[in-house]
Amino acid sequence: MKKIKLTIEGMHCASCASNIERAVKKVSGVNEVVVSLMTNKAFVDVDDKVNKEEIKKAVGKVGYKVVDVEE
Amino acid sequence: MEHSEHEISIEEREMNKWKKRLILSWIFVIPVAIIMLSDRLFGFKIFQEGTMTIVILILSFPVIFIFGWETIRQGIKGIFTFYFNMDSLIALGTIIAYLTGILSFFGIVQDYSGVSSMIMAFFTTGKYIESIARGKASQEVRKLLQLGAKKARILQGNKEIEVEISEVKIGDIIVVRPGEKIPTDGIVFKGESSVDESMITGESMPIEKAKGSNVIGATINQDGVLYIKATKIGKDTFLAHIIKLVEEAQGTKVPIQKLADKITNIFVPTILIISILTFIDWLYISKDVSKSIGIAISVLVIACPCALGLATPTALMVGSGIGAKNGILIRKGEAIQTMKEVKIIVFDKTGTITKGMPEVTDMISTINEKEFLKIAASLEKVSEHPISRAIVNKAKEENIKLSEVKKFKVERGRGVRGDIQGKNVLIGNKKLMDENKINYKKYEDKIIELEAQGKTTVVVSISKKVVGIIGVADAIKEDSLKAIKELHRKNYRTVMITGDNERTAKAIASQAGINEVIANVLPEEKEKKVIELQKEGMVAFVGDGINDAPALKQSNVGIAMGTGTDIAIEAGDIVLANGSLKGVVSAINLSKATFGKIKQNLFWAFFYNVIAIPLAILGTLNPVIAEIAMATSSITVVSNANLLRRKKI
Repeated sequence: MKKIKLTIEGMHCASCASNIERAVKKVSGVNEVVVSLMTNKAFVDVDDKVNKEEIKKAVGKVGYKVVDVEE
Repeated sequence: MEHSEHEISIEEREMNKWKKRLILSWIFVIPVAIIMLSDRLFGFKIFQEGTMTIVILILSFPVIFIFGWETIRQGIKGIFTFYFNMDSLIALGTIIAYLTGILSFFGIVQDYSGVSSMIMAFFTTGKYIESIARGKASQEVRKLLQLGAKKARILQGNKEIEVEISEVKIGDIIVVRPGEKIPTDGIVFKGESSVDESMITGESMPIEKAKGSNVIGATINQDGVLYIKATKIGKDTFLAHIIKLVEEAQGTKVPIQKLADKITNIFVPTILIISILTFIDWLYISKDVSKSIGIAISVLVIACPCALGLATPTALMVGSGIGAKNGILIRKGEAIQTMKEVKIIVFDKTGTITKGMPEVTDMISTINEKEFLKIAASLEKVSEHPISRAIVNKAKEENIKLSEVKKFKVERGRGVRGDIQGKNVLIGNKKLMDENKINYKKYEDKIIELEAQGKTTVVVSISKKVVGIIGVADAIKEDSLKAIKELHRKNYRTVMITGDNERTAKAIASQAGINEVIANVLPEEKEKKVIELQKEGMVAFVGDGINDAPALKQSNVGIAMGTGTDIAIEAGDIVLANGSLKGVVSAINLSKATFGKIKQNLFWAFFYNVIAIPLAILGTLNPVIAEIAMATSSITVVSNANLLRRKKI
């Protein structure tokens, strides 16, 4: 279990945040996601074996861009 | 993450983006509005009917499909992937309106195309204003990010060289002139000065610093040159920790927003369905396709999930920003909601009510005083306990050389034991003496006298014979009494918890104005005492976060006191950056004010949607008016959150 922090660009409304939460939660290895619209950050609880590219892709799929990943 | 001065933040980029679109959109929309209004209001036709539609379609095209393309694309994508969003509503509303213009040539429907670009223009305008308000909401937190120094002047040999802050290493000697920012956390190596720490701790009075004092990065050196040895850099600094706390708090939820979140999740698809039903109903009743389309569009664009979704995070953002400025760090959003239910506030004694720096005040012994102190300090030097440190410090002051200790053992919550020069020495409270059947009757009266003064008294025995007692006093913090009085005025029940015996504890408590005392509590029992108190009401626990972690976690709201440069991050829902109890009062005020704002915002957001959507369904609102109402409602929510700044905390 570890926490990663994503900086996401392009969110402009509340449903954006909930869409990203929904999409990232579906990635295998992701346990919990909280998206903060105000800080453009997503806090993701993940297993060690999670593929970060998958998370980025999931965010991209619903129309937003991950600009930074921090562990 | 490094933030340089020139880097544009995501917020600013967002703002600039909307601003550009807004200006471009209105260049095209103003002529559209003139053409439409002169026709509708004054019956004055600038163009003939058919030409007018063509002109409007041409003028509207770039507004929707070029400047508004991102919204359209996101919205349509959302519909096809079942990730509906705000944009889906706007995209549908504008595209349908635009299509009516084209269809009107075939005489199927009336032309609504002018409405399409106006909706998009107002939507863009609303987003722009909202982005400014959101930027304002996060200004305190952004300021925090920019607070760190960019450069440092380090000493190499006899030369001072300027380096980037990222190049500073632990152990480097940094030179800080008066008026300059201290680049990173460190310890004063040479020099004397006062330092303004208000930006980090909220403490407005400058703090005196001399050799050996800890300094915090990003604070401002006032009047002397300081030579500082860097002790923490980069991610480990006090400032970096504060930023992390504040940012992470945004990733926590306030329970009250759960319902709003649930509604937001199903909001857009629900509105789509309502809109379709509205269209069918109106078509059935009025047999007027055009009118039905217009009303359906109004329903699409008036619904505002944003107000609901922004209600809580914006208020939390402003609240935690104001808090951070005042040295109050909200770690969990939940705490601000729970805070208003709290009835009992439990304070740890040492380091919370008192300064946590006990000093030896009394020594009574049957043997030579120096010898007595030497034995006591030799044994205590191995222990980390504050009382031990006080005794060791006293010996240091008197330049006493300490002896070696063998078989050292801590008797948890009671004292210490060990062998010095072959003799078994025991130092501790009466409990420890009783357990070892050591008679201290001779000192009983003196112990009672010291304890009544609030002094913790330890008994020293050598080979099972008492040789003397030591009284240690830990002065209360200057503002403890004032803070406790304020809490009583607000009708809180205050309790002090401590490992000290009843008499000492009561003396300290009365100095601080606290009536209720739980004494003789072993460190591991604090949590249990909290559980007991919780039967009588919600409990906030105030402690230093190091020894008190379990009690802080168990309480309904854990308030951890940051002391000096150490910050208890893991324990506590709220962390006070400066050790003052005034912070507890401020934290309560801030939590209540923030939670009040959240409630107001949620009420407004629900109220708006509950009133506006039915009005649109009933066909009382023109689509453009509907869009303006929608934009206004989310701006209102964010602006209302910004009003939180006016509250005095």
